[in-house]
Amino acid sequence: MKTTWLALCMAFTSTPLLAADDSVEINAPAPGSVSEEQGLTAWSRVFEVASHPRCANCHTGESDRPMWSGPSYGKARPHGMNIRAGASRMGVETVACQTCHSTSEHAQDTAHAAPRVGMAWRLAPPEAHWFNRSSVEICEQLRDPATNGDRTVQQLAEHLNHDLILHWAWHPGPGREPAPYSLLEHINDLLAWGAAGTPCPTK
Amino acid sequence: MIELTINGDTHSVDVEPEMPLLWVLRDELGFTGTKYGCGIAQCGACTVHIDGMAVRSCQRPVGDLAGADIKTIEGLGNPETMHAVQAAWTEQQVAQCGYCQSGQVMQAAALLSQYPQPTDEQIDAVMSGNLCRCGTYPRIRAAIHAASAKLQEG
Repeated sequence: MKTTWLALCMAFTSTPLLAADDSVEINAPAPGSVSEEQGLTAWSRVFEVASHPRCANCHTGESDRPMWSGPSYGKARPHGMNIRAGASRMGVETVACQTCHSTSEHAQDTAHAAPRVGMAWRLAPPEAHWFNRSSVEICEQLRDPATNGDRTVQQLAEHLNHDLILHWAWHPGPGREPAPYSLLEHINDLLAWGAAGTPCPTK
Repeated sequence: MIELTINGDTHSVDVEPEMPLLWVLRDELGFTGTKYGCGIAQCGACTVHIDGMAVRSCQRPVGDLAGADIKTIEGLGNPETMHAVQAAWTEQQVAQCGYCQSGQVMQAAALLSQYPQPTDEQIDAVMSGNLCRCGTYPRIRAAIHAASAKLQEG
């Protein structure tokens, strides 16, 4: 089963318009129609999203400790309550994520309360390590099928479009800074990066 | 109307589906054994069981719970027929002020369902989300071990 590990969140400058369960139309540009320079520019925006706390906090690599970081939290620190996601990445070995993060389509509108969406809350798989990782490292991980869930860029975009936990990143409720850009802009940036041949920065 | 199964009985409530289960339990149905602590899943005082799993009732929209098996501290046991955890809590005199204790007991009962003979590390891992401002943690751990032993005896 393809899991949520691509919390490729995204970036925009206006008020989010998409509800957490909204999806967008995916229209990939033709391969080769995007220059490498344009692809790298698109990637830089994708990285802004992937490295944002709304995404990176649950992309902690081999560590099974989700993180609390970003403007809403002050100093970065592991999730409170000694939470461990375990090998299941869903906490079932100790305290399940769903103990607090309800699976519900009723939006969470209370500041600082546990986020929830209509899918089971979980950590991303270990290979999708984004927290404290560089643009180069995340780029190389995402373009390699061995570490991206064996997906093409088109499939990465479809994953973004279908995973409600990822959509939450742009609608995190009061008290939390949304990921930058928008789902549509993020998917378009991802597709442009793919059409350019998935170039990665060199440093 | 939303139909809920609580401690084996059916209850119908006329509330907004977004209302947290905790509000329904305490204010609509009078199950006041479950406590309000923080309202944002930071303390564990409102822990109940839903389909056997310990959850924070302040975070559960009641509209999602039709058909679910909800158990509160009132349904875990009673003074005449206490659950092993409740009996151990009494024997070990765990409570100080007592406010967090129904949540602690519900979390501990779920822990023992998953790990009948838990280690100290498992107890700490599972109980860390249930805060006690009186600092009764050593007695909580001792009571869980005592309850485990009692359950093993049958």
